[in-house]
Amino acid sequence: MFEQRLYKHLDWFLFGAVLLLCAVGLLMIYSTTYDPIRERVGREFYTQLSACGIGLVAMALVLLIDYRTLSEYAPVFYVGVAVLLLYVLFFGVVAGGSRRWISLVVFNLQPSEFAKAALALLLATWFGQEKLSALRTGDLAIAGGLLLLPFLLIARQPDLGSAVTLLPVLGGIAYAAGLRMRLVGYAVLVFILLAPVTWAYGLKDYQRSRVVTFLDPSQDARGAGYQQIQARITVGSGGLTGKGFLNGTQGQYKFLPVAHNDFVYSVLAEEHGFLGVLGTLGLYLFVLLRSLEAARLARDRIGAYLVVGLASCFAFQVIYNIAMSAGLAPVKGLTLPLMSYGGSSMIATLMSFGFILNVRMRRFAN
Amino acid sequence: MIAEERLNLPLRLRVLQWSLAAVFLVLAIAFWYFQVARHQQFLEMAENNHQRALPLQAPRGVLFDRRGAVLVENRYAFNISIVREQVSDLARTTRLVAQLTGTPIESISEALERSKRLPTYRPTVVIRNVTEAQIAAVAAHRLELPGVIVEKTPTRRYPSESMAAHLIGYVGEVTDAQLARPEYREIPGGAIVGQAGVEQTYNPLLMGSDGARHVVVNSRGREIDVLGEEEPVEGRRLQLTIDADVQRAAEEAFRHYGFRGAAIALAPRSGEVLALSSLPAYDPNAFAAGIGRAEWNGLLTDPLRPLNNRAIQGRYSPGSTFKIAVAVAGLQEHVITPDTRIFCGGGASFYGRFFKCHKAGGHGSVAMREAIEKSCNVYFYTLGNILGVDRIHKWATALGLGEMSGIDLPHETRGIIPSTAWKKQRTGEKWYAGETISVSIGQGQVSVTPISLAVMMASVANGGTRIVPHLVRAVDNGKGWEQLPAPEGQHELGMEPANVDVVREGLWMVVNGAGTGGRGRIVGYDVGGKTGTAQVISNQGKARAKGDRDLRDHGWFVFFAPAKNPTIAGVVFAEHSEHGFNAAPIAKFMMETWFAKEEGRPLPTLGPPPAGTPGAAGTTVVAQRPAPPRTPAAPVAATPSTPTHASTGGAR
Repeated sequence: MFEQRLYKHLDWFLFGAVLLLCAVGLLMIYSTTYDPIRERVGREFYTQLSACGIGLVAMALVLLIDYRTLSEYAPVFYVGVAVLLLYVLFFGVVAGGSRRWISLVVFNLQPSEFAKAALALLLATWFGQEKLSALRTGDLAIAGGLLLLPFLLIARQPDLGSAVTLLPVLGGIAYAAGLRMRLVGYAVLVFILLAPVTWAYGLKDYQRSRVVTFLDPSQDARGAGYQQIQARITVGSGGLTGKGFLNGTQGQYKFLPVAHNDFVYSVLAEEHGFLGVLGTLGLYLFVLLRSLEAARLARDRIGAYLVVGLASCFAFQVIYNIAMSAGLAPVKGLTLPLMSYGGSSMIATLMSFGFILNVRMRRFAN
Repeated sequence: MIAEERLNLPLRLRVLQWSLAAVFLVLAIAFWYFQVARHQQFLEMAENNHQRALPLQAPRGVLFDRRGAVLVENRYAFNISIVREQVSDLARTTRLVAQLTGTPIESISEALERSKRLPTYRPTVVIRNVTEAQIAAVAAHRLELPGVIVEKTPTRRYPSESMAAHLIGYVGEVTDAQLARPEYREIPGGAIVGQAGVEQTYNPLLMGSDGARHVVVNSRGREIDVLGEEEPVEGRRLQLTIDADVQRAAEEAFRHYGFRGAAIALAPRSGEVLALSSLPAYDPNAFAAGIGRAEWNGLLTDPLRPLNNRAIQGRYSPGSTFKIAVAVAGLQEHVITPDTRIFCGGGASFYGRFFKCHKAGGHGSVAMREAIEKSCNVYFYTLGNILGVDRIHKWATALGLGEMSGIDLPHETRGIIPSTAWKKQRTGEKWYAGETISVSIGQGQVSVTPISLAVMMASVANGGTRIVPHLVRAVDNGKGWEQLPAPEGQHELGMEPANVDVVREGLWMVVNGAGTGGRGRIVGYDVGGKTGTAQVISNQGKARAKGDRDLRDHGWFVFFAPAKNPTIAGVVFAEHSEHGFNAAPIAKFMMETWFAKEEGRPLPTLGPPPAGTPGAAGTTVVAQRPAPPRTPAAPVAATPSTPTHASTGGAR
């Protein structure tokens, strides 16, 4: 089942870069959860370490099976995830006002994280069918319909942040599948025209305030603007070389809320400075470019689309979170893949890289 | 790899890759902008976020008397403070603290209101000097009172309570009006500063510099770590010129004889103040503890005006003590010799009006020494008439009367020594020669402060040098005591020694001859002195208001001793004591105490108060409440008494 030559074709550079990012993420979680008084690290670190282990096992499992075989079961995975999402809506664990998790005794599983891979696999399979030589608007509508189900289920949790990450999956695959730029132009036009209406009727007060606060954080420095201001202070105070590991004051003294989660990159910027930022940005870019290279080398369109879908989702999350961590994007509960605290996110992301490695590894296979 | 030319997937992937690279480049530039270009600005913001300097109040400098006795020291008190940042419902917290401590809610609200401009993490003192019971009450409700803390801070302790209160002054929280002044620019809001007396004048030296506790706090403002402490630097220790025992003697004597008033003793050569008291006084400890509204209002509205420093703010008619200045003027202006004789037949007519001497039968023919001894009005009427008001003004002013003494105490006022120019400026009218007659015996529009009379006496005692009274001898500069130079302003008056001798001989005779100062005599010390009576109400009025103590004349006694080489000179002003000779025993007791200290002898004690003095009737200064009540005095501001002067009268 797993041939020796496949092992030889594994993209060790990509794998290594992913592992390196995981390691950096673990260090940052160590730093953000470290209690200097008790001189011990928070349990989140060990949870994340376990998630890395589980994620690597999941990645290995995904690697073992040819992605084309997996693509045959794409509808099964899709329906499976949809069922889990439905289950979450009724029986999920509630935390922080949201119902997002399924309790598995030892840890809580967040199905929305797996929805991205399931959707990517299904859309890649759909667009990659031989009969589909060029993307038609009708195909796009069907794909949109496929996206809508998990999107609504996740948005209902409510977790708009995670729901939105499904959009780049479709966007990436549709683009790769030949989406006409004219269509994109129309979409942009419609967006612009609908924006005022959406602003007036489509957004809730708190959502509007988020946007306003993003444009001028000082308007609500103690409320919605607080995180944005603190994030920028955290990043800016890091300087060129940073304050050093465990020496970041903003993260250590909890000026930045959920530093180990949404703002882990701000803490990295504070402790390791611009050089640390350049290093990690470089690693993320390398991972993305290398992934897209896998898409280019893929032996079929299913493989290529699968990689592009997953990489787009990954890129969107990375770019948005990093921009947010410097106060350049409105604050949204969006994790930084491979670095933020979150077991499900880590496992799902490593699994996704399992797919990407899988596609590249099997580029020569029959 | 599929070959789908129309889609041109590789191209699209390249575009994706380049787009990603471009976005990452933009991110890198943005991070460079924040982390490198604007690093310093964000670094400061981050430090302000988590580092705080909490002030550690410096103890004020200790005050000693001239012989090293402690006059003012420090103790530690507990205050209840509120850290506004940690309080979610300030109104509720205020209510609860007021209720638990039995403090009026208004005073807590006021304190919080005053500190509104300070950072919210700074504790605001809402109740000073709390009792153990109050601390316990707050501690018991700690969980309901987040942000309410008990702080230990140094505060003033005045071991002798009200003794020398007006001289030493008191401390209190810096006021908004003070903070607006340039000299308080460096002082933070909420600081404790001197509000009167030496505490105020020497506040910059006494305050020291506050330390700071640098702490690290988390985003909830809770202290996580202490980075270090800058120890507060205690204020400079000051050695005052006063002798605590002479000071105590003055105040004891006032109480003993049942008078209120003021007394000042100076070292006539240096101008050092040996004692300065004003009675009734207040207890500065009450201010150090944080004076309550009721107590403060009580002091403000007390008809005896305990906040008024009579020694430097009270303006009174000098009565016959003014004759010293007239005598000096006469001799110095050579309008008279010491031996020029003038006949006193019990009165004399000037400008169509008859002016009486206090001795109805007259003193007969008197020369200068005898005129001073017997305080002959006719002699001084005549001399004043010859001199004219402007020459009297010249010499009285030179001797310090109607002038600020320059003493290092705040809020000194000046008296009035009339002149033709003064009248012209004040009323637009010309001076009538007849007015000079009253002036020449210290009546009419003449008014002086006790301190200015003390300066005059010191000038005569030291042979003609006008001194500047001052209260500080030495300051501890951190390495030891450093003597302070005498203040500027001391100067020779150009008096001829022979003239000074004549005046001094006259003054010696007042006490040791047939004069009115016999009660000031101390065997072996050749005390020189002069009594004076300041009329409070006209003779006619006096007759009508028989027996009302508050309408009785004030008594003065100015003194110096020993006559040959004076080491002490000064003034006693005994309010409503009727006659200057009633003030003399107070001066005598001060001098006796001074000499005993100088010679290392046991301190003297007071005998029973003479019959006829209020002290003999068993009344005390504080217990007396005159009626009708007067307008309340402003705190420490000059509110001089305004005696009703008679144009003529029996000055003695």
